[in-house]
Amino acid sequence: MELREFFNEDVIKLDLSGDNKDAILKELISLLKLPSKSEGILFKMLKRRENLGSTGIGRGIAIPHCRSLVVNRLRVAFGRKQEAIDYKAIDDKPVSFFFLIVAPPLEVSNQYLPVLGKIAQLCREADVPERLGALETPAQFLELLGDKQV
Amino acid sequence: MHPQLEILLELQDLKAQKREMEEAADEHSREIERKVFKVEPEDAVAQLKEKIAEMEQALEPDVLKRYLLVSERRPRAVVPVLSGTCYGCFMDMPTSMSKTNEEIRWCEHCGSFVYFVD
Repeated sequence: MELREFFNEDVIKLDLSGDNKDAILKELISLLKLPSKSEGILFKMLKRRENLGSTGIGRGIAIPHCRSLVVNRLRVAFGRKQEAIDYKAIDDKPVSFFFLIVAPPLEVSNQYLPVLGKIAQLCREADVPERLGALETPAQFLELLGDKQV
Repeated sequence: MHPQLEILLELQDLKAQKREMEEAADEHSREIERKVFKVEPEDAVAQLKEKIAEMEQALEPDVLKRYLLVSERRPRAVVPVLSGTCYGCFMDMPTSMSKTNEEIRWCEHCGSFVYFVD
C-alpha cells in the first residue's frame, strides 16, 4: 500500500484561500464533496480532535484527522496555503501544508492508521516542506508521493 | 437530517475517537497520537468521556432510552446502512424503507439506529 493510491488531483488544492484554522478545515472538507450536513458534522469532529491537541506537527505541516460515520471509506485531501496561518502547531510556527484524513469508524480494510502513519513518516523527511512549497500543479504532488515511495 | 440523528452521529463519532485512544485500542494508534501529535491518550479519553456524557443529555428521553439500551448490548448504537445492508448486523434493510435521514429509525434485526450513507 502506498500513499499515492489514495490521492487524486481532485482532492489537492495548492491555493487555499482561508486565513484561519476553521476556514482552512472547511475548505479541505469541501474537497471531499460530501453533502452539506455531512460537511458540518465532519467539521465539528475535526474541531473536537483539535481541542484534544493541535494536529499541527511542526515544520509548517498539519494533519487534521478523525473517524466519522459521514464517510463510507477512507478519504484524504491535501491543501497548501502560501501565506502560512496560525494553527497553534506544536512548534508554535505557522502552518502552510495540510493533509486531511477521514475514515469511517467501521473500516474493514483497516487503512486509516497505516495511512496516518505514512503521512507522518513523509512529513518527517527533511526535504518535504521545501518540496511541498515548490509545487506548481497537483500532478507534481502526486509525483512527490511516488518519488518518496511511502 | 433529523436533529436527534445528528446528535447520535456525533456521539458515535466521539465514541470512535475515544476507542482509538483507549488502552484496549491498537497500540499503534496511541503511539501515533503520543509521538506525532503529542497528545496524551489518557487525558484525551477523560475529555471525550465528559463530552459524550454532555451530549447524551441532549437526546430526547425516548431516543436516549433506546440509545442506552442498544449501547449496553452492542458495540455501536448507531450504524451506517450501505447498499441496503445494516452494518450493525449485516442484515438487509426492508426495501420499502426510504433512504432518508430525516427520520430517526433503527434496524428491526439488531435495534441499532441507522444512518443512510448512500
